[in-house]
Parts: sequence; C-alpha cells; structure tokens
Amino acid sequence: MSVIKVKNLKKYYKVHQKEPGLKGSVKSLFKREYQSVKAVNDISFSIKEGELVGFIGPNGAGKTTTLKVLSGLLYPTAGDVSVLGFTPFDRKPAFQKQFSLIMGQKNQLWWDLPALDSFILNREIYEIDKKQFKKTLDDLTKMLDLKDILKIQVRKLSLGQRMKCELVAALLHSPKVLFLDEPTIGLDVVMQQKIREFLKEYNQKYQATIILTSHYMDDVKELCDRVIIIDKGTVFFDGLLDEIIKKYADRKILEVTFSKPIEKKDFKTIRAAKIKKFDPPRVTFSVKRKSANSVAAKLLESFPVADLNILESSIEDIIREVFTGRDLS
Amino acid sequence: MKKYWQITKTSWSNGFVYRLNFIMWRVRTIIWFFTIYYFWVAILSQNDQVFNYDSQTLLTYVIGTSFLRSLVLSSRSVSAGMEIANGDLNNYLVKPINYLKNWLARDIADKALNLAFFIPEMVIIFLVIKPPFIFPNNPWYFVAFIVAALIATLMYFFFSFLVSCFTFWYPEHNGWPLRFIVFMIIGFLAGDTFPLDIFPAVAQTIFKILPFGYFMFYPMQIYLGRIPANQVGLTIIIMLAWVFILYKISTAVFKKGLKVYGAYGR
Repeated sequence: MSVIKVKNLKKYYKVHQKEPGLKGSVKSLFKREYQSVKAVNDISFSIKEGELVGFIGPNGAGKTTTLKVLSGLLYPTAGDVSVLGFTPFDRKPAFQKQFSLIMGQKNQLWWDLPALDSFILNREIYEIDKKQFKKTLDDLTKMLDLKDILKIQVRKLSLGQRMKCELVAALLHSPKVLFLDEPTIGLDVVMQQKIREFLKEYNQKYQATIILTSHYMDDVKELCDRVIIIDKGTVFFDGLLDEIIKKYADRKILEVTFSKPIEKKDFKTIRAAKIKKFDPPRVTFSVKRKSANSVAAKLLESFPVADLNILESSIEDIIREVFTGRDLS
Repeated sequence: MKKYWQITKTSWSNGFVYRLNFIMWRVRTIIWFFTIYYFWVAILSQNDQVFNYDSQTLLTYVIGTSFLRSLVLSSRSVSAGMEIANGDLNNYLVKPINYLKNWLARDIADKALNLAFFIPEMVIIFLVIKPPFIFPNNPWYFVAFIVAALIATLMYFFFSFLVSCFTFWYPEHNGWPLRFIVFMIIGFLAGDTFPLDIFPAVAQTIFKILPFGYFMFYPMQIYLGRIPANQVGLTIIIMLAWVFILYKISTAVFKKGLKVYGAYGR
C-alpha cells in the first residue's frame, strides 16, 4: 500500500529580481520585477510502507521543496499530495503525530538548554505517554550512544552530537514517515557512517517509510534500493539504483598495470579506448561497454600487461554524467 | 494545555541561562524608569500642577505605567517575525502545536519573570526615594485596573503578533523596520511617556478610537479614578472588543501569510 502519493505536483515561486549594484537597488525601490521560478514542475511518484527512498539531484533541483510540500510547510501550486492518507498542508495533528522532518542544516533543539529539555518539551507537544517516552528515549540513546551528553547545553555539543540529538528529538514520537534532508551534511566520515547505520536499523526495526536527500552518494548507496532523481523540478529517473547503471552507464573502466615502461602515444592504435588517467605503470581507460572485451584482449595481446581489471563506472560518475550531460571519458 | 505549560517552563529555564543579559535588561528597565520619573519631578518642581495633574497624581501615573510596561509591553512575540523571516517557523508547523498559543505561553513566562523582578525593585525604589503614591479610594477601581491591565496584555499580544505576521510579505531585516515604527507609535500614543489627556480634545477623540491608548493610558485612568465610575465598564467592554478584533485579524493574517510562506532558510 502506498503511504506517500504525489501526482502532478507543481510549486512555483515568485522571485523578485534586482539588477546588480547601487543603481539596481535604487531602481528596485520604485519598480520591482518578478519572475516565476518553477521549483517543482509536474512530478509524480508513490512510495510504499517501509520503503527507504533516496532523492538525488543537483542544488536547486526541487528536492527540498518537495519535502517541504510533503511536510505541509508549503502550499502546492497545483497537483495532489497525500501522506498517510492526509493532505499535508491541512496540518492535522493526527498527521503531524505520525511524521517527522529532519533538516541537516537547521535545528529544532533549544540552543541554550540541554537536549533533554527539548526532548521533554516534545514529549508534551506530541502527548507521548511517560513510560513510552522513557522506553523510546532509552532505545534511541543506546542506538546512538548518547547517554553522557543529554544534560549538556546544545550549543556546547559538536556538530555530530547535535545531529544525533536532532534525530532523537525527531523520533521520540515514533513517526511512521520520516523526511530527511541532508542528515549527514558537514559530518566527518565516521559520524556519517554511524548516522547511516542508525537510519538503516531504524527503518528495519520500525518499518518506517523514509525519504532521504543527500549530496553524499555513500548515503544513498548504503541506504536506498530505490532512488528518484530530480533535476530542474522534474523527475528524471525513478527506479532501482542498479538500473541507473544499466540505463546510463554505457562505458566501462579498464584498469591496467603494465610490467614495462609505456608512453601515452603507445595507445594510439587502440581507438576505442580513451585514457582516463595516466599514472605509469598504471593506466585507466574508459571504453564503450560493448567493446570492453575486445579492447582488453587487444591490450593483453599487444602490451606487457601485469594486471587488468574491468570495472563498472562509479555511481557518482554516472550521476554526474546524467546531470551534466557530458561524456565522462 | 499541558504542552503550553511545558513551553512556559522551558522558556523560564531559557531566560535564566544568560545571567549578565538578564541583569543588564533589568538595569535598562530601571534607568528608563528613573529617566521619566525625574523628568516629571523636574517639571513639577517649577509648578504644583502640570496640565490637569497635580504632582502626586502625575508621579503615580509614571510609576503605574512603569508597572504596565513590565506587564503589557514586555513581549517575546517580537521574535515571531524573526522566525517567519528565517524559516524557523518550520519547526512549529510540522508539530501538533498552535503557533499563537505557543507564543502566548512564552509571553506569559516572560511577563511573570518581569513582574517577579519588577515588584522587589519597586519595593527598594519606594524605600529609597519615597515617591508620592496614591492608592485608589475605592478598592473597586483597583480591581477594575487589574482587569483592564490583563485585557491590555492580551490586546498588545495579538497586536504584536499581527505586526510580526507582516514579515510573511516583508521579510527584510526580520520585520524590524515595521516594528520600529510600531515602537515609536506606541511610545507616543499609548501614554507611556506622558498622559494622553494633555492633548487637545480632537486628538483625544482619535485616541479613543485607536487601540494604543488602551495599552496603558486608559487602565491608568481607571486606577487614578479619572474615569467616572459609570464609564469604567464601558472602557473595559471597548477593550474586550479590541481583544476580539485583534485576535480575529491576527489569526486571519497569519493564515493568509502561510499561503505565501516560502519556508526559506533551510
């Protein structure tokens, strides 16, 4: 059953445009020109219960705007949106008690007070039973290894500790649907990994439906089977992560280590292979998928090869290629 | 109700975090009080009567408005404009909580804190400078004054929230340009620095129509017994009507604002 349904969603903003400089500023005092920006332009998708879906796309693609519409923060310009059977912008308490929005760049915790004070406040706001609250808090603090910092002022916590506390604050009411916007932004790799593991565990343990946006492909690769790629306000791709490789990766990577010194010009005869990286004795080639085997055979035949590997393009490269429309080779 | 009580308690905890800020704020309040008080003392030293006020009545007015400043005009809801402009409003919109009630709870916390300090400060000031001070002859005037002060508090709360709501359309500098104008108007038209009945009759008719005089001037007139007993009830009814009008306008403007809200800053 679909928990989230989005049909032909559009969200347009009216943005005031100003010419640069003082002259432009004075002019804008008297006459303002507005432009309509299509932040989200006719997107449709649906998400089933328990799914963990990655939203990816370049900055300004419309990912966050979509999450804001799904959370009821923004009124859509057009289209139908339903989350858990509710229309988000009606902001019904029954709906609000079942979802959470976590933004990596902003916090909901009271800055000058220990995180525990914000947790207690959320207990009252979400009307969580005291016993249940204690149990959930114990579970979450254990999963995130937070016990020692709950009574320290939020402003004195590190970014990673704060993000973990943000997660706890957002999950105390055991939401069925989670919208995560860049939850690992600015964190070091160890902390990113911890947050990822936690999200995976949370998703499996509570069958929570999660939408995640991230610029870190590792987040998406590790957590999401399904991805929705958004670009310029429209859905570019919606499917399994593996399918992106099949659909868009028309090239393979050949990593070759040579046993004798070689030069770039030596490879002029192999036209199907483009040198991606030349770092003797190691050379990386990018070749069309269909000619990968024949190029490999030719290299083995004509050159002193010590080692040869045929690899798929990395998901980062493929997505970069998709967004820029450029050939990576 | 419990959630809003928790907000009040959390606001108190938050208010106590910065001790220096807290002390400086109280010092500011006291300096302002002395500025106005000694301004009138200086004028009254030359004349027994100023406008329609004798020295005792006028200085009681100054002390009374100082109390009303702590109760009515102390409001944290100024920050609502900031939250709307920088997108922190998002935090509330996704939760099962009423934004207006949230600010009312925080304002109550702030006002209680203000009064908790105002009262002992006033006791000390009374002991040191022994100002002339009138108590109402009729205790009912005192009761009516307290009722009027509480209604004025609600009036100002909705008014201040309404001003914050304009940040939806004019988010420049978190809504402060409009807020400054409002502060100036209130300083002038609420009777904060001088009583409004020193103005000509025409001006006073206008003051009666506007809501600002009801924040401080009219409650003080009730206290001083300068409003005839049979008109006290009418003044309170007018104030209640203002509470209703300002409540309706501020909630309607807030709802309209949410439609244009961009949830920026995130």
